[in-house]
Amino acid sequence: MPCIKVKDLRKSYGSLRAVDGISFEVRPGEIYGLLGPNGAGKTTTIEMLVGLRTRDSGTVDVLGHDPQVSPEKVKMEVGVQLQSPAVFPRLTVLELVNLFATFYRDPLPVDDVIEMVGLTEKRNVQSRKLSGGQMHRLAIALAIVSNGRVIFLDEPTTGLDPQARRNLWEVILELKKSGKAVFLTTHYMDEAERLCDWVAIVDQGRIIAEGHPQSLIDEHFKERALEFEQPAYINDKRLEKLSGVNKVITNGEMVTLYTETVSQTIADLFELAKETGHPANDIAVRRSTLEDLFLKLTGRRIRE
Amino acid sequence: MKMFLKLFTAQAKELLRDRMSLFWYIAFPVIFILIFGAIFSDVGDINFDVGIVTESQGPIAEGIAQAFEAVESFTIHKGSREEELEALRSGDRSVVLVVPAAVEQVFMGQPAKVEVFYDKGQEQTTSIVLSVVDQLLEEIEQQLTGKTRLLTTDQKAVTAEHLRDIDFLLPGILAMAIMQLGLFGSFNIVSLREKKVLKSMGATPLPRIMLLGTEILVRVLLSLFQTLLIIIIGRLVFDVHITGPWYQVIGTVLLGSVTFISLGYLLSSFAKSEESGIGLVQLVQFPMMFFAGIFFPTELMPDFLQPLVKIIPLTYLGDLLRNAMVSMPLAYPVVTSLLILGGLTIGSVIGAALLWRWE
Repeated sequence: MPCIKVKDLRKSYGSLRAVDGISFEVRPGEIYGLLGPNGAGKTTTIEMLVGLRTRDSGTVDVLGHDPQVSPEKVKMEVGVQLQSPAVFPRLTVLELVNLFATFYRDPLPVDDVIEMVGLTEKRNVQSRKLSGGQMHRLAIALAIVSNGRVIFLDEPTTGLDPQARRNLWEVILELKKSGKAVFLTTHYMDEAERLCDWVAIVDQGRIIAEGHPQSLIDEHFKERALEFEQPAYINDKRLEKLSGVNKVITNGEMVTLYTETVSQTIADLFELAKETGHPANDIAVRRSTLEDLFLKLTGRRIRE
Repeated sequence: MKMFLKLFTAQAKELLRDRMSLFWYIAFPVIFILIFGAIFSDVGDINFDVGIVTESQGPIAEGIAQAFEAVESFTIHKGSREEELEALRSGDRSVVLVVPAAVEQVFMGQPAKVEVFYDKGQEQTTSIVLSVVDQLLEEIEQQLTGKTRLLTTDQKAVTAEHLRDIDFLLPGILAMAIMQLGLFGSFNIVSLREKKVLKSMGATPLPRIMLLGTEILVRVLLSLFQTLLIIIIGRLVFDVHITGPWYQVIGTVLLGSVTFISLGYLLSSFAKSEESGIGLVQLVQFPMMFFAGIFFPTELMPDFLQPLVKIIPLTYLGDLLRNAMVSMPLAYPVVTSLLILGGLTIGSVIGAALLWRWE
């Protein structure tokens, strides 16, 4: 039973089609990622889902309610973190989380939430004195404290340093573990790969690819790159005959085999090594990433 | 209800921690009062220097001198005729009385003339002093002759005490403070809107109208606190006594507070950003401050400004407050003032509601 159902959602600003007919479903216990460059329509989509913005057409169902018809019912059951974290500047972390907790029927314990996002040490600091990363974590705390069944996170890690991002990923995975659905937008491909059970790649208001991150990559990139070091094999024609290999590139002592069947190719490579007495050292299988996928689908890099 | 209280506390903390705003809202009017109060209180006490020259040392001359010394606003100087007339010429006396030696013979039915010298250039003050002098002499004569006058005036002051400049100033500055608090305070919401705080709060189940409600409540309470502070300072520093009943004072403060908060929200609806909003408020606030008779009575303003004076709502708040606090006679009928302030409030609320934007 999906907790979010969206069908053919559209929104235009003048002649700009910000959201141009997208459909998807999100299930409980799932992290769903809307992945795409800035201006792809991600924020507009989130705002329509939580009742902050009206849609032009299409249907939206969040936990059994249409956010346009009964926004207050949706808002009561979800937690939302919007793109630019904004709260009363002179209230402390603790005061803010406390305040937001009173907005909801069954909030999570305030101290636990602050602990979860790692702001316990900063609990008595006024929000205007927090760093960018701490502010982001506070915004997420304010979304989490709702104890909503769906948590919406709009670009939760934008502008954070790598350590802070990884900490936040842990928080988001915690949410999933507790059975909540998490709907997040991001333009970080690695974030989507690491976190999401399901991603929709959006570009110019449309979903151009959708699926489990790894399956998506597998689907679009049949080949893997199999890399190893062995000068003995430079220009060895026998490599091209290994099963599954489509292409061989040698660069210095490094050999790269492009293959559709990684394990078959590796087995054959070991056979060859036995025959020739030249072992393949430091074998690495490099897979394609969502980054590569976006490039392949749109001809553009995601962050430009 | 719990949500309302929490939000109210949050808003109150937010405001109380904003030292800069607090200074403008609370300390600035107090400083105004202290400065203007100090300036005006110097000239505020009316005192006349009266010279008395007695040409005999008899009991009657002595009695006359004592009677004059008893007048509170007279400072009596005694000296020779030459000395006192010289002092009058150099402007050190308002009036000089010369009591002739003949005054001791009034019992024998011989009338005596008390000479009164005054500076022709200061007719206004002199006329006040002369009327007092006349009255005193008359009273003394009655005591001497034992006759009772058949017709006397029974003077009763309508205002309990004579009003000083500070009495006029204090309620006016309170009115000004209420206006500032209302007009500038309402721009907090523009700032919250600009910083997208309103938007992020909009994604929670909190009814946004509650945000507005608690904000208004915080500001209304702050005006009451401001009133109390100004009254206490007026009492302690300038000995200003509040004559009106407290409910009239509080009622007037509340009305003014609500009026200017509404007007502030109306103005803030036009503002694109906090900065442009501040400019807009100043455009409204400056003329009000200077043409509403906060610092001096509006009657003193030139005729061509009178229409402006009459359309400024602060004029009416100041008038009502002066009446409520120090019993100064109303310059405008109370119904007119109430209608104007009430009408402005209703108009502003409707206007603000129509133009309101959360984002």
